[in-house]
Amino acid sequence: MSHRAPGLIPALVRFPGAAARQDAWGRLLELTAGGAVLSTAAPLAKGEDLTLSFELAGEELRAVPAKVLHAEPDADGQTLADLRFTDELSRRELSRRLLDALARRL
Amino acid sequence: MADIGVLGGDPQDREALSGLLGEMGHLAYEAGRLEEALEVSRERRPRAWLLVDGAGVDAETLARELRRAFPLLPVMVALKTRDARRAVGLMRVGAAEVVAPPWTPVELKASVSKTLRFQGTALSPLRVAPRRRSGLLFALAVGAFFAFALTQAASRRAEKARAAAAAVTHAWDLPVSHPAGLAFDGESVWVVDWFSQSLYAHSTKDAALGEVRHLTAETPVSAHFAGDSVWTIGADGTVARRMRDAKLTVLQRWPGVARNPAGIVFDGLYLWTLDGRARRLYKRLPDPDLTVAGVYRVPGVKPVGLAYDGKTLWTLDAADRSLRRHNLDRPDEAVELVPLSVYGDGKEVPTGLAFDGTRFWTSAEPRKGGGPARLRRHPEALR
Repeated sequence: MSHRAPGLIPALVRFPGAAARQDAWGRLLELTAGGAVLSTAAPLAKGEDLTLSFELAGEELRAVPAKVLHAEPDADGQTLADLRFTDELSRRELSRRLLDALARRL
Repeated sequence: MADIGVLGGDPQDREALSGLLGEMGHLAYEAGRLEEALEVSRERRPRAWLLVDGAGVDAETLARELRRAFPLLPVMVALKTRDARRAVGLMRVGAAEVVAPPWTPVELKASVSKTLRFQGTALSPLRVAPRRRSGLLFALAVGAFFAFALTQAASRRAEKARAAAAAVTHAWDLPVSHPAGLAFDGESVWVVDWFSQSLYAHSTKDAALGEVRHLTAETPVSAHFAGDSVWTIGADGTVARRMRDAKLTVLQRWPGVARNPAGIVFDGLYLWTLDGRARRLYKRLPDPDLTVAGVYRVPGVKPVGLAYDGKTLWTLDAADRSLRRHNLDRPDEAVELVPLSVYGDGKEVPTGLAFDGTRFWTSAEPRKGGGPARLRRHPEALR
């Protein structure tokens, strides 16, 4: 079961305090319960930790912890990153909301 | 190259962004206020808008208003002050991309490129395997690169041919003489012929005739496929909801509810019927009474067809031979007018309209008779 949302979901990208990095933003090209593909203007590196906040079917998911599995420049010179959600509870919550959203076709 | 509108209160900001867009090969149209932007949208039909946020200008409001008037027009925002929360908020109200300050050609180019290209997020409850990038994969990628290089010229030629084909209006003679409406079922374009009281499925590739459905007890003038149902409307104003089976079995029928029927579409929430003579669009609830939730006057002279593109309604006018786009919330205002130049000589009268997800299709009859009715597939760029 999969579906394409009417638009690309915007996401707020925040980094741990120790990273001393500015908040960034991007778009989710793909979203599953286990991870996401993020397009962002912010440079990202493999292994980097971050949190994503985004809205799915009208509900806000705040600060979902994720790790960068892979990052590479996309065709426009921005960053295309494979993310894995690292928190089991967040993954379950996201899975539930995705199933709900897909059942309602957003 | 694309035409892009630049909306901002400060002329210096507009000039800076227009200059950057110009360097990229785009043509920029500047507007200082929302009213000007709306006028530019109507007259110039830019592919996208770039709004300046900050210094007393609220891009959120501007984005909402622009998207309300032109729902399919992408809007980008250039921030004057970096604020990630603000950027996400703007994207949530419809901004396709948000450019952070300082505005650079690289950032702007990437945002414009993405805005003109991206679709929606792919959602799935299952986790996809992460992309593996092993040494073997690298070697394969190198091999693929060389293979790609060898075939690139051929691909370019094919793409040019495809683009050329997409920019052409294709026309086919129909086996019927009185097409009154068109409908798209996800695979084929159906011609509703009132004279033979039948619906004919035509391939979207070459208009080859496929299935035929006969409605011998009725005179159908329009149809619309929606999920598992088919909505039809007859010349006597009878609306019917049917199963998508070989007989188009009637599930429910509303005799004579729609006068002077010229079109019918279901947008997933409301059923819309078009009264061609009175030039009225009826918005109905799909309840047991087809309760009328609204009546709207349709601009134009002689609307004869109705289609739904997933977000907005379109009417086909046989008199001025053009398409008009209507917002669902204010369908009495046409937000876009697209002349159909193929009917410019007046030899044919357009009769039906459908949208296949990419392109519009129209049917037409010869004005003085004597020739075949025609089915036309219009260029992608039309919309």
